[in-house]
Amino acid sequence: MSRLTRLCSFVAAAASISLLAGACTGQSGGQADDDPTKDVTVNFWHAWSQPNELKAINSDIAAFEKVHPNIHVHVVPNVNDDKINQALRTGGSDSPDVVSSFTTDNVGKFCSSGALADLGPLLKKSGIDPAKTFPKPMLDYTAYQGTRCTLPLLGDAYGLYYNKDAFKAAGISAPPRTMSEFKADAVKLTRSQGDSYAQLGFMPDFHGYESTPAHYVAQWSPTYFDAQGRSQTAKDPAFTKMFAFQKDLVNSLGGFTKLEKYRNTFGDEFGAKNPFHTGQVAMATDGEWRLGMARDAGVKFPIGVAPMPVPDDQANTYGKGYITGTIVGVAAHSAKQNAAWELVKFLTTDTNAVVDFSNAIHNVPSTLDALKSPKLVSDPNFKTFLDIAQNPNSNTTPASPNGGQYQVTLQDFAYSYEAGKATDLPTGLRGVDQQVDRDIAQTK
Amino acid sequence: MTDVLTPPATVSPSLSDPARAVRRKAVLRWIAVHALGVAAALFFVLPFVFVLFTSLMSDNQALTRALWPHPFVWHNYVTVFRTPGFLTWWKNSLIYAGAGTALTVVSSIPVAYALAKFRFRGRNLSLMMVVATMMLPPQVIVVPMYLFWANQLHLTGTLWPLIIPMAFGDAFTIFLLRQFLVTIPNEYVDAARVDGCGELRTLLRVVLPMAKPAVAAVALFQFFYCWNDYFGPQIYASENPAAWTLSYGLESFKGAHQTSWNLTMAATMLVMAPVIIVFFFAQKAFVEGVTLTGVKG
Amino acid sequence: MTPLTLRAKRRRSALVTLGFLAPWIIGFSVFFAYPLISTVYFSFMHYDGFRPPTWNGTRNWSYVFTQYPFFWPALRNTMWLVLVMVTTRVVFGLGIGLLITKIKTGTGLFRTAFYLPYLAPPVAATMAFAFLLNPGTGPVNHLLGDIGLPQPGWFNDPSWSKPALTLLALWGIGDLMVIFMAALLDVPKEQYEAAELDGAGPWQRFRFVTLPNISPIVMFAVVTGVIQTMQYYTQPIVAGKVASGIIGNAGQQFEPGYPEKSTLTLPQLVYNLGFQRFDTGSACVIALILFALAMAFTALLMRRRGGLIQAGD
Repeated sequence: MSRLTRLCSFVAAAASISLLAGACTGQSGGQADDDPTKDVTVNFWHAWSQPNELKAINSDIAAFEKVHPNIHVHVVPNVNDDKINQALRTGGSDSPDVVSSFTTDNVGKFCSSGALADLGPLLKKSGIDPAKTFPKPMLDYTAYQGTRCTLPLLGDAYGLYYNKDAFKAAGISAPPRTMSEFKADAVKLTRSQGDSYAQLGFMPDFHGYESTPAHYVAQWSPTYFDAQGRSQTAKDPAFTKMFAFQKDLVNSLGGFTKLEKYRNTFGDEFGAKNPFHTGQVAMATDGEWRLGMARDAGVKFPIGVAPMPVPDDQANTYGKGYITGTIVGVAAHSAKQNAAWELVKFLTTDTNAVVDFSNAIHNVPSTLDALKSPKLVSDPNFKTFLDIAQNPNSNTTPASPNGGQYQVTLQDFAYSYEAGKATDLPTGLRGVDQQVDRDIAQTK
Repeated sequence: MTDVLTPPATVSPSLSDPARAVRRKAVLRWIAVHALGVAAALFFVLPFVFVLFTSLMSDNQALTRALWPHPFVWHNYVTVFRTPGFLTWWKNSLIYAGAGTALTVVSSIPVAYALAKFRFRGRNLSLMMVVATMMLPPQVIVVPMYLFWANQLHLTGTLWPLIIPMAFGDAFTIFLLRQFLVTIPNEYVDAARVDGCGELRTLLRVVLPMAKPAVAAVALFQFFYCWNDYFGPQIYASENPAAWTLSYGLESFKGAHQTSWNLTMAATMLVMAPVIIVFFFAQKAFVEGVTLTGVKG
Repeated sequence: MTPLTLRAKRRRSALVTLGFLAPWIIGFSVFFAYPLISTVYFSFMHYDGFRPPTWNGTRNWSYVFTQYPFFWPALRNTMWLVLVMVTTRVVFGLGIGLLITKIKTGTGLFRTAFYLPYLAPPVAATMAFAFLLNPGTGPVNHLLGDIGLPQPGWFNDPSWSKPALTLLALWGIGDLMVIFMAALLDVPKEQYEAAELDGAGPWQRFRFVTLPNISPIVMFAVVTGVIQTMQYYTQPIVAGKVASGIIGNAGQQFEPGYPEKSTLTLPQLVYNLGFQRFDTGSACVIALILFALAMAFTALLMRRRGGLIQAGD
């Protein structure tokens, strides 16, 4: 029926070229005055796609529907941020009421543009104090400039993976704690073979899968933006030091050209032939999910996990790492915000739900209670990641009004710097800052 | 056809030496040309072979140097078909390509006919505008079009924004058909008119039957265009997985973390298959269509 | 005939013409003219899809030309593709066309083999090549390694990604092959015979008989090749997604151009600005630049005498 009316309106619209002005922009009022006890269907879009993940989220939702028999959840899996962004703009009856994204990059965009509803009033109404419920680093990456438009739904923490057999063979007894130990160990673990390697200690290139500038620099606890929201990668010494360290590491492991050539022999990051699985590299930085993937790939050697090493002058902060996570929020134009909020509340704050979900997909739980829960399945390796996630010095890439754009800009510079195409670090970083500021200005 | 390069069956002993030399040169040329042909054929065919073999390998074997599947994992194809959504993508591709082709052909024929056989002011200008729009990248107008479908009609996330425009003629189809219709002698059309046929009847009864090969060719082109289209579904349908087409879905197939090359290649085969099958059934119409694209000027 | 009936007849025939043209007229207005005007309008507005559009003056234009980091690389890549990809495609297409006219045994089989890849859906073909050319695990590099040749990074190496795309484009040479084949068969045989009598060798025959005869087709292939390059979208974006491993990987947002902007083309910028950054205004600026370029080359194509548009009666 609605299709027909739409067609009619199409013909009518086609007739009037006055449509020019017709970039209809009205986000027809989303509101939180719907009755969450009525029979209602909530559209929930999420990014999970693997069979085990789907099973986990679906049983999570089944548990929710049991508690709220009047709220039905219509799930759309495997959607990424581009699509969420598009759908949040269009609205309509098929568009999502609750969205969840694997990346925190777009929180700034979601909050500042008003795409996702401010959850502050809803949290208050439900008597939830975020500070007492969620770990602080996770609270930071789910809000933007005081607007809390998302909540964490499980998190990811990055640490150092190492091949215990390789460590034994090289006579290394414990994982490195400082960057200079890290470099020494990486060199010790590297065995050249002709113009390639029999084994590489660590793949330091910025393209080396998770060894991205953002993940490196997290160990130096950077501040990306100043109080006015201007990019300050040139001003904050964390970035300069990180680049210097990476360059030094690259040079001591054989140089960029040789390393890149070796990198080209690697299998896909998320495939069975990940270079860490195959023993091509002895250490790697990666998220907690690698534990499960390595197990699935049938990795033969024992795997050790530790926090990433820290700069020598920050040795007392050992234990921190880069963290990020899945976020979930309520669409601003949703006409069922109260029902949607019930779902978000359940998924993010119900201890059992969070623990079960975490156990099922091996991500870090995102509430303080769940982290302490005795039901949480945790081996020593996984425990390392739980600790990193709760470490007060752990940090993430901050939200920005144009999403992860600034990270891409930094990354692009990092690639040309490590390739020797850009040689002047201070000038290059100033260029990054200018570009980031311009891009942000363009969104305003 | 152009010169005589048939392989010599036997060399007659009575041939004089110069004639033998010519013969030998011909044989050598035959060998050279066909060796080159085989080399080129390998370049064109081997990718298909690799993809096919890989699609039948086990997950791990697909990453090794092995070229021959061992064992043959036919089950990969079952797995692909069982992927959530795969059948929906198929269905959507068929709907898009089927409805799109039908609508395009039906709406383009009268336009092409008018441009080929009517005399009216502005005909050349119209034709030039058709060619101009044909050459335009779809990205030029996509932003307002998207806003139109999304904000005015709330039809994004469905196949409608892809199909509805097809009911209003497609520049490429109109142009190709017009190119063909121009070659139909006016006497046929005039005779029909003299017999008292209206224009519509002339078109349906006289012109169309003669234009069958051209109509078949443009229909095929349009079908392939829709089937292969990636940009359209990415813009208009991507926000709703229930509206994804094969071309678009295939891409998401590889993504989801561990999905492996063997399954991806099996899915790739399944996306290529219909096009190749259609080609074998309609080879002639196809090649005719390609030469129609304006070369026979 | 009285003037009256004549006029009535004329009016009738005008109506009939209009009726036949109606689908196109509507289609042209709604799906071309309106959005084009609208694109011009939006290129001067700031609009993010949420807040109402506001007047932005020429800021979008200056942003694209002076500050948007993707613009110049995309233009440079397009130049590269025009110079290298279009040229090699025309040369290779002509070569394959020549070859197929010389092949006398199994012609149909060869022709099918040469033509088939052209039909492979671009997404599927690109995925296949991303697998074949995978630097670490792809069969091509395995083979290259076996015979002791260097193993490039293909889609993962900024200096090899465009050559890899060119290889993919050469694989789908079928369209040009058929066009050249038809043209070559149309060259009058007498001219070859005359040339041979004058003692012309194969190269001279090609140079002085074949080329002049098919030069309009070569021109056609070049200009349509350039226009296709302006529209080049699916292959580079899919190749970038697969090679970067970010494809469909919901956790990461894919920035087109991987690796290092080396595969950016103008149409991808429309997507990046319009549908990833939701900077509608700047996306429309790119769209208009694309429009201007495509129109310029189309004009070139239409100026060719007796060429693209076959004369009507």
